[in-house]
Amino acid sequence: MAAIADREATLRKQIEKIESESGAKAIAVAVHDTETDFELHYRADRWFHAASTIKVPILLGVFDGIAHGTLLPHSRIHVRNRFHSVVERVPFRVESDRDANSSVHAAIGKMMRVEELAHHMIATSSNLATNLLLDIVGLENVQRTLQELGADNGIDIKRGVEDELAFEKGIFSSVTADGLLRVLLLLAEGKAFSPALSRKMMDILHGQEFNRGIPARLPKGTRVAHKTGEISTIAHDAGVVYLPDRKPYVLVVLTEWDADSSGRSKAIAEISHRAYEALTEKV
Amino acid sequence: MSDESTFPLSVVDGLTLSPEYRKALRPGEMWADAAGRQRQLPRYFYEVPSWDMAMKAQLTPNFLLWEFIQVDVRETPLLLSFPRYVPCAITLLAVCLERFREAVGSLVHISANGGYRSPSHRLSRNASLHCWGVAANIYRIGDTYLDTRSSIERFSLTARETLPAVWTRPYGSPAGFAEDHLHLDLGYVTSIPRDVRS
Repeated sequence: MAAIADREATLRKQIEKIESESGAKAIAVAVHDTETDFELHYRADRWFHAASTIKVPILLGVFDGIAHGTLLPHSRIHVRNRFHSVVERVPFRVESDRDANSSVHAAIGKMMRVEELAHHMIATSSNLATNLLLDIVGLENVQRTLQELGADNGIDIKRGVEDELAFEKGIFSSVTADGLLRVLLLLAEGKAFSPALSRKMMDILHGQEFNRGIPARLPKGTRVAHKTGEISTIAHDAGVVYLPDRKPYVLVVLTEWDADSSGRSKAIAEISHRAYEALTEKV
Repeated sequence: MSDESTFPLSVVDGLTLSPEYRKALRPGEMWADAAGRQRQLPRYFYEVPSWDMAMKAQLTPNFLLWEFIQVDVRETPLLLSFPRYVPCAITLLAVCLERFREAVGSLVHISANGGYRSPSHRLSRNASLHCWGVAANIYRIGDTYLDTRSSIERFSLTARETLPAVWTRPYGSPAGFAEDHLHLDLGYVTSIPRDVRS
């Protein structure tokens, strides 16, 4: 059996090679295997624009409300497409053609349940669902939740999504690979509020519909609870990988690109495949 | 021929309700509006025993009570369960909306949180007319979503031409304006059904 240090060194070299050959401006990777305690941290403290991976910390904020009884999974929320920028509270909307999910937009004027919105926020990355949930929970409460869970190091949430005015002013949420790894590890180990609530959050992450990153080159029968994030210069994927007959491992891949570059999902899938090989001794 | 009302809901004097309900509904209390003028909250309510009853209670030929009492998690928890209480003036609002519906010739959809909401609702402030049961936020008429200047101003004009003394919120984003729905209200109207002792 290859020593953990050897496998770590091999995987690191493979990531370096993928990084140099893919044309990515930067790649960061964090791995933690709950079966073997294997760890890898490759530029894992570098800050990236969070893109939609910030929806995982927001999910934690929602479940903090559920844990404390201020929200119920079936609590109803008015679906209204009107939010306030963190810059001078200027109103803005989430444009429907910039949102991956149309069913939340179709419910404008009506109500949707917290659990439905949480599903749409993660599984189809609905920006409207995200801002509705963040409005109910409150940015400060998400920040407080992360602090209380000891997961605020490496997660810097500053606002909701589609706040263009804030983006123009350089105000955006940031993450590090290690930061997201810590959050996902809490969920995987059942330590976010309670094992039952952690499981519910994992169930939501298992519903992810964008699967061209971490899951793409893993063997059949593998289940991945994950969240992607993509904007013009960013492509991320962060998740927990469940292989048959072993404990799961957490993998976070953060990448930054020139706006017109291609091959993003391919690079993430390749890193995921290499991590899988390292952890299952197929190197 | 009987002269008894066929309306299925009973009237309740808010001052006779339990302390928890009085705290949430604040019957008859004074409340300052945005300009600092004191307004008296409604004292008499229809008691709605169940959602099933709200689905059945016909206020006008085209409006049922449930459409006016859809509130989200921002409402105080006590008033998310049943029985619920709705100011008696809700019937006047329904009659006005029925007339408005005839004028626009299409379905009029009231938004969640856009009919009656209590003074304890997190969105209720400055003596909101929604707490009197005489205001409606309309987000869709037929297939038209009211989220543009042209659609809001067009239906706003229809409302003002059709309903005497109705007030509609002008299009815009500052406080007191609306840009994603049509707000209309009847002013601070309260209704005291004739049989109650006041």
